[in-house]
Amino acid sequence: MSRLSDFNRAPEFRSRFRFVSLCRLALSLFAAFGLVRLVRAQEESATAISHVKEVFERAAKAVVKIHGVDEHCEISGTGFFIDPTGTLYTAYTVGGEAGNFTIDFNGKRYPARQVLADIRSGMAILKTDVATPALPIGKSEELEVATPVVAIGYPLDLPETPNFGMIAGFDRKYLGRYFSTTHLRVNLPTQRGEAGAPLLNMKGEVVGILVSSLENNSACYAVPIEAAEKIRSDFVRFGEARHGWVGINVSEAAKQVEGSRAEMTQIMDGTPAAGSGIKPGDILLQVGRKKVHEPEDVLDASFFITAGDTVPITVMRGNEKLTFNVQAELHPASQRPPLIASPTNQAIPLKLDSEVQRTP
Amino acid sequence: MDEFNDNEIGKLLRLKRYEQPPPGYFENFLHEFHRRQRDELLREPLWRILLERTQGFIFRLDVRSLTSYPAAIAAVLVCAAVISLKIYQEPGAANVVALQSGPALSTAVNAEGEWTLASPAATRIFRAQPLRSLNESANTHRAAIPPRYVLDSVPVSYESTFRF
Repeated sequence: MSRLSDFNRAPEFRSRFRFVSLCRLALSLFAAFGLVRLVRAQEESATAISHVKEVFERAAKAVVKIHGVDEHCEISGTGFFIDPTGTLYTAYTVGGEAGNFTIDFNGKRYPARQVLADIRSGMAILKTDVATPALPIGKSEELEVATPVVAIGYPLDLPETPNFGMIAGFDRKYLGRYFSTTHLRVNLPTQRGEAGAPLLNMKGEVVGILVSSLENNSACYAVPIEAAEKIRSDFVRFGEARHGWVGINVSEAAKQVEGSRAEMTQIMDGTPAAGSGIKPGDILLQVGRKKVHEPEDVLDASFFITAGDTVPITVMRGNEKLTFNVQAELHPASQRPPLIASPTNQAIPLKLDSEVQRTP
Repeated sequence: MDEFNDNEIGKLLRLKRYEQPPPGYFENFLHEFHRRQRDELLREPLWRILLERTQGFIFRLDVRSLTSYPAAIAAVLVCAAVISLKIYQEPGAANVVALQSGPALSTAVNAEGEWTLASPAATRIFRAQPLRSLNESANTHRAAIPPRYVLDSVPVSYESTFRF
């Protein structure tokens, strides 16, 4: 009673009491907030893990172990079905230069044959005559650095194994040498036998194909699925991969023009570009749907050109923006008599020269 | 015999009692013995001498005890050869792949399950049968040799220049 009277009598006590109460309240709120955040983080972590598990359980049935025999020995790698008729994507190192392919699927072994092998992209397509599950195709363009991804492969002689990692970068060159198209660098541990494994986003869609490992197998490179789809599209249309080109060399310009530093330095004789009206010194702005900012951008633009297709090329000449339609020819790296697929998948040789209509 | 009756023999023996060997006889006895032995040996043909010496050498070495080593090694080699042949031709482990699509591609194990000395290829018997499960072929001979598990450390192709 006397204490209460002291409290009523002393205003400084009252203000001190309020301060202490407020501090206690603030501490309690802070603790509660921290607790909520901790619980939420744990929930998110558990959700991510359950997502990985879900993706693995959904996709693993469509991932198979591939056996083959190359000129030296038996080989073993990974592949995955991309349609219900038994079409497989794998890495070129697995399905490119070997033969006598078999796949382990549903606990049995089935024969498979090579449909297409493309060293430029680093992928191969195999086919087996069995009804199969298939993985949905995603878009690697939607990926960003630190996007989580899952890979499913067959390391060594072990069963299918999920790997969880994240996109670490989009690289055009490695150890000073340029890829044919931008590769996905993935911080995801890999082991031998996992070449050709699918790289999946968290929706379970394929966004890439594992083609090589980096040092210590702690990371790997994957070909973006769009590159593989381009090759498959070529096969469906022509019965083979048809890398195209127009015959222009590009290097870095002294100054940036319209956001581009890619200057055309050489128009090669006897190529589609020679008679197209494009001149050395023009600044390249766009090839097809690919915008060009640096000379390196030409790699991706070039990769997606198909021989025989007309490619719109936009350049800057002085202050004038010009667009030329050039019909691409077969890339020198894949010079062979072009083939056109017949309904029975038996190709007919065809000379492209007869079809090329050069755009002035 | 009649000339030598008992009396005469007794006389002769009495005379012998006084006979003595020449001086130095006992000192040279061993030397003389060896000399006579060599003379005796030289009278025999060379092949007999060699034969006798060889026999003596062999008996000194005790060859019978040495013959057990090669015999044991030979036995081990024969066992190893037989075991390896059996493993290589194990019927349940034929290094064939059961293929589903075509009977012609389908292969099966040796039905009799017998060991043969034929080459492994000859043990492959083709027949149109359903697939073998993977577990059946798990302990094949070829499975003992691991395949090359593929994942290269470098990409397979590069671009030389910026051209398109």
